[in-house]
Amino acid sequence: MKTLLELLCLIFNFKHNGLLSMSRILLFLIIFIPSTLLAQSQRLTGKVVSVSEKDGMPGVNVAVKGTTLGTITDIGGSFSLDVQSGSILIFSFVGYKTQEFSFTGQTNITIVMEEISSELNEVVVVGYSSIAKKDITGAVSTISSEGLKNISVNGLDQALQGQVAGVQVTQSSGTPGGGVSIRIRGSTSISAGNRPLVIIDGIPVETGALGARSFGGQNDNALALVNPNDIETYTVLSDASAKALYGSRASNGVIVITTKRGKNGKTKISFDVQRGIIDPVKKLDLLDASQLLSLQREAVTNAGENPDAFGLIKGVTDAVNTDWQDEVLRRAILQQYQVSATGGDENTTFYISGSFREEEGVQINNKFQRFGATINLDQRLTEKLSVATNISLSRSLNMRVKGDNFLDGVYSGAVKSLPYYAPYDEDGFLVGPASPLYAGFPNFNPVAQAVLPRFNTVTVKALASINASYLINPNFILKAQTSLDYNSVTEDQYESSQTAIGGFLPSVGGQGYGVFIANTYSNVDSYLTLSYNRDLAPNQKFNAVIGTELFQNFAIGGNVQGRIFPSDDFTYVQSAGVVDDGSSYREPPHSILSFFGEARYDYDERFLLTASLRSDASSNFGSNNRFGYFPSVSAAWRISQEKFFNASFIDDLKIRASAGLTGNERIGAFVFLGQWGATTYNGSAGVTPLNVPNPDIKWETTQEFNLGADAGFWGGRIQSVINIYYNKTKDLLLTRPYPLTTGFGGIADNIGEMENRGIELTVNSVNIDRDVKWQTTLNLSRNENKVLFLADSIPLYRGYSGEGVDATNIIKEGEPLGSFWGLNYLGVNPATGDAMYEDRNNDGSITNADAMVIGNAQPRLIGGITNRVQYRNFDLSIFFNFSVGNKVLNFSKASLVNMGGDIQTNQSVDALRRWQKPGDVTDIPRYELNSTLNNLHSNRLLEDGSYLRLKNVSLGYNIPSAISNKVNLQLLRVYASATNLWTFTKYTGSDPEVSTLDGSTAAQGIDFFTLPQVRTLTIGINAVLK
Amino acid sequence: MTKCFRNSFAACLLILSSCSDLLEPEPIDLLTDDVVLNEAKDVPNVEIGLYAAFRPIIPSTVIAGDCTSDMLINNGTFTQYRELGTKQITSANASVAALWGSIYNTIYIANFIIERLPLVPGVTTAQRNKVMGTAHFLRGYAYFTALYSFGGVPLVTETAIDANRNIPRASKAEILDIILDDYTEALDKLPTNPAGAGFAGEYAVRAALAKYHLYLGHWAEAESFASQIISSNLYQLESSFSTIVNEDFTDEAIFEMGYTLNDDPGTSGTIGLNNLFVGRREIIPSNQVIVALASIESGERFASISFNPNNLKGNDNGWSVAKYGTASEDNNNVVVFRLGEIYLIRAEARARQNKVTDARNDVNELRARAKAPLLPSVSQTQILQLIEEERRYELAFEGHRWYDLVRTDRAQTVMSAFSPNWKDAYELWPIPQRELLNNPALAGKQNPGY
Repeated sequence: MKTLLELLCLIFNFKHNGLLSMSRILLFLIIFIPSTLLAQSQRLTGKVVSVSEKDGMPGVNVAVKGTTLGTITDIGGSFSLDVQSGSILIFSFVGYKTQEFSFTGQTNITIVMEEISSELNEVVVVGYSSIAKKDITGAVSTISSEGLKNISVNGLDQALQGQVAGVQVTQSSGTPGGGVSIRIRGSTSISAGNRPLVIIDGIPVETGALGARSFGGQNDNALALVNPNDIETYTVLSDASAKALYGSRASNGVIVITTKRGKNGKTKISFDVQRGIIDPVKKLDLLDASQLLSLQREAVTNAGENPDAFGLIKGVTDAVNTDWQDEVLRRAILQQYQVSATGGDENTTFYISGSFREEEGVQINNKFQRFGATINLDQRLTEKLSVATNISLSRSLNMRVKGDNFLDGVYSGAVKSLPYYAPYDEDGFLVGPASPLYAGFPNFNPVAQAVLPRFNTVTVKALASINASYLINPNFILKAQTSLDYNSVTEDQYESSQTAIGGFLPSVGGQGYGVFIANTYSNVDSYLTLSYNRDLAPNQKFNAVIGTELFQNFAIGGNVQGRIFPSDDFTYVQSAGVVDDGSSYREPPHSILSFFGEARYDYDERFLLTASLRSDASSNFGSNNRFGYFPSVSAAWRISQEKFFNASFIDDLKIRASAGLTGNERIGAFVFLGQWGATTYNGSAGVTPLNVPNPDIKWETTQEFNLGADAGFWGGRIQSVINIYYNKTKDLLLTRPYPLTTGFGGIADNIGEMENRGIELTVNSVNIDRDVKWQTTLNLSRNENKVLFLADSIPLYRGYSGEGVDATNIIKEGEPLGSFWGLNYLGVNPATGDAMYEDRNNDGSITNADAMVIGNAQPRLIGGITNRVQYRNFDLSIFFNFSVGNKVLNFSKASLVNMGGDIQTNQSVDALRRWQKPGDVTDIPRYELNSTLNNLHSNRLLEDGSYLRLKNVSLGYNIPSAISNKVNLQLLRVYASATNLWTFTKYTGSDPEVSTLDGSTAAQGIDFFTLPQVRTLTIGINAVLK
Repeated sequence: MTKCFRNSFAACLLILSSCSDLLEPEPIDLLTDDVVLNEAKDVPNVEIGLYAAFRPIIPSTVIAGDCTSDMLINNGTFTQYRELGTKQITSANASVAALWGSIYNTIYIANFIIERLPLVPGVTTAQRNKVMGTAHFLRGYAYFTALYSFGGVPLVTETAIDANRNIPRASKAEILDIILDDYTEALDKLPTNPAGAGFAGEYAVRAALAKYHLYLGHWAEAESFASQIISSNLYQLESSFSTIVNEDFTDEAIFEMGYTLNDDPGTSGTIGLNNLFVGRREIIPSNQVIVALASIESGERFASISFNPNNLKGNDNGWSVAKYGTASEDNNNVVVFRLGEIYLIRAEARARQNKVTDARNDVNELRARAKAPLLPSVSQTQILQLIEEERRYELAFEGHRWYDLVRTDRAQTVMSAFSPNWKDAYELWPIPQRELLNNPALAGKQNPGY
């Protein structure tokens, strides 16, 4: 009888796969089971099984509803309990649907537990081991690439935007392959870097910018070399418990990425094609030639000068009216192709893919191309020994253009350039410096600046690892891995004699300017771990891992520059008449040698304990502070597993707490020594002092505390995670400013303290689960950052220099990072038309001493909400992300509404509101040539950068298999996807989600002629061969 | 299993044994404080380092002397030149910070040499004298520049970094004392014939002393030092003024800052003079100076500026400073002292002593070279005014005008006429804001008016 029931259940379970409630079937079946007579209190024995544990599930909680009675199944899954007839028994186990059973006198029952969601049992790679999601004691978020498959993103960092609570992803601009900033739980450091550690298949990889030459603030991005379509899962480790095992590199969080691997089975060959169009999200409203001319004439007249003498003549000066934004922007094309094969047998599995992506920029002549090939192989050599190797090669060609803080930038130049000039002369030739039509400094020809220079950056990345694991005995596994992340960056550049640098500036190019830069950055990492795994008792599991790791990175490179080329037909330095600058360098190898260990103890699935310790020794520090120790402890209590817990609508409730230390050692080598570097004078070489030695310099450490809860409701229909954290970073590595009377600007030192506190919430909900399946995923996070202490209480200025104040940004005790600095703008005096500022020190004049913190770039709340609807063969995904409470410094307006500071820049339509005569009430002061008073740096330029953005909408359709089978396809899928389709914001610039000074922590959220985000519309086909 | 343990343990040990090498890599292309100057062969390297630190002071004084006065107006996008050009100078100005910084960088290395060099064994007397003399001379000149740009600045005479973080302003007299002591020390030690005008020799010190006494109104001493240089016959006026504009290391160069292809400041926004004057044209000659240089009295010195009609638009008058070429041209050096200035120092010193004819003869040396009309017989008052004008023609864009107007008490008169924004406070530059913030002893000690 028992086996029959079991079998029946199994059949049901297989066939219906959770569509019908198992408990109902059980009840139905049970009615037909002959029962003994009712009795007051009877001994009930039974067994609990599941699909995967057919011989019995140990550790299942059996409770009598409404009482404290209960027991736990033994190692064989059996239990016995004295129960009264009519009682209701509750069977619960983590990751399984809680079942109720009405006892009507049966003596022997079998309960089949039904898995509610594979998610909780999913194995997550954390640190140097893997763990089932339900056993995690820290703050760990996982997202699968499956949910991102329709979104066409350039890099894996973009894929994470809005998807994970506590992770803030900001694309610095709409440039393909450009910088993306990722912050996990805010910024823990000021100068030692805030980028999280990214681990791909156990390999710590290069992040941040690779290119050596500045492009005006926007950088390239090392992570753009990794094909997101090869990625299986992203795991974000946020709290100390999860990441302390990465010790000195973990304070900014860790992103652990696993790539796709083969599975034992029939080989599956899959093709993906995507094509799309890209447009800028918004164009700025600027003045046309005649509007600008009357404004400039007014400004000159107000300065007491004659506008005619300045050549500002109606009908002449404004005879040409060029819309430079239209001239340099375009609709761009995106295409991506990928073929992959996966399969294997029981000893060998493989995943192979090849891909090509080409994404044009919306700026003319801007393009990003990437070729990639990946092979992941797993081979079981013997029963005990298996090896795996991952090799991923990619090459990108990034055809870059200058921007932002470059006068000769393309978008930046176009926005600033006067409409009085045209890009082409009468014969259709580009206007260059030799032409009388050339506007000249600071109005270069933005079209020529886009089309003529060659800025080709070729990056080759090889990501390779080999590992072996050896099963010593059932309890011990020894694993070793060696890996290489090799990045070779070659920058091949030529600016012709018709460009600003190559032709206009004689001190730089003169007659063509060629540059060649080659750098290689490699990370070599090896580790050895021994793990131990044992059940101490039926309900007690213990596992531990100890290991050692050596991480080293190397950098070597050089550059050469040439000028005075015979003509623009010769573009490489070999043809240069003057080769006047070149250098080569090698960085001393940076090494971290580590030992680490971690132990986990699980009592009865109720109490989970994890403790870890890592010791790192870094070559960046002197011998007295070389070693750092990073411990962590965490514990979780699964309340839902307790006997007293009988809220049946809650399947799983776990509360967690963790505390630990992490570090940051990203400072340059040898700052603990007083260094002298080479210098030259008049053709001779000598030495010059570089820094003040600081033998006591040490790690930044972050104390981290996290409280969290994971809960699942209604049979897995709702899963939620909440985390509250407090992180305090001590010994911030920072340059302590010295007065220059010392001969130095400062000393690298541990001089500050900073805190981040925040809350994160994630909710996954299956709203409807019928023919139509509707799922919603919501994540919200709030982080508050504050600088607690700076040595000598001296504020540090960052960002750009602002007119009349020390800088646009400040780092100050008691204020968060990203604070904006400036005067308090009080509007326009209706009588005089002049700007009014608050005289905060009441000294009768407006000076930099009147400046104050005027706002902050950090949002109060960020998040994302994704709705996925599936109906038959259709799937629809709608993804919004948002940011609330962040300020954006619209620094472009310091030039675009400059109140006559110069007459060499086009102006925004805002200038039409300017004060013109006494009595005018407006927010834009009077224009007067060369006056700076009306354009002092103030909160006039600061705007609310909150936004709600329809980040992605995608609709997919799986062609019915009846049709796809006919063309020999197992799967044929078509889909359409749109990104950045709609944005709600009060921000008046082109886009609130931009950041010049890419990746800067202290000066984030500045829009300085930064290319806005782009809108991408793509269609795609995915076919899997039969 | 034990074997495996043993093997992995051995692997750990292997890593550990090479651990010290891994964690203490050898510095690459670096020296450290303790080894940079302890042998005779180290001396020339540190000497070159001193010159490299000193060099940016000179282009910075070109900015100070010409852009704070009526010589240059702003025409670009950099805030610092707009502030200087339109006389709205603030203590956050980057040019101000750059001059201050290079002065104290020079003083640090000079102090380092003065402290350490006497302890280095095996250095020949000649070399020891030359390098000690150079350290004293360049430190003295740095203080001279500091005094007349900022007033009484902190007096730093040793490398003790912690002491120099909290150091008050010294009096003008204290700074004048160290300048004179340093010059006197250097005069004994520097060779008469240095290795070219890129390096300081005895006569560079005499020129500095002539200038020192001129600024202080010690007319006899100023005349005497100037005469020593002129009569040494080591330096000759070039026959054509265009050589001064277009060439480095002319026959009249006493001391100039040498730039070669390798060490051109290139695009440096703060001191790359060619980039500022010719490339970006951040600062261009004022209409007043164009008129002056185009006058018949200026003669060939009109070559100091050049015109391009393509630049003519808005408030751009189309003129550029021509004295500073690119790295690959032969006029990218910046002059500290040349014989032309020495004649003008002597002329002024003589005129003040009422030796009007002698003064006129000195001026006429330069007038004749510039193919300009020679001065007729004039009064003492007239000759002083003519010398002021002559300095403007001859030394245009070499960093003199503002210092001259201030030391002759003419700044208020001349500059008020030039700019409505002028105020007395601009007779000195402000102490950089950053210094006031980071040096507690300077709190509240800003120059008046900033």
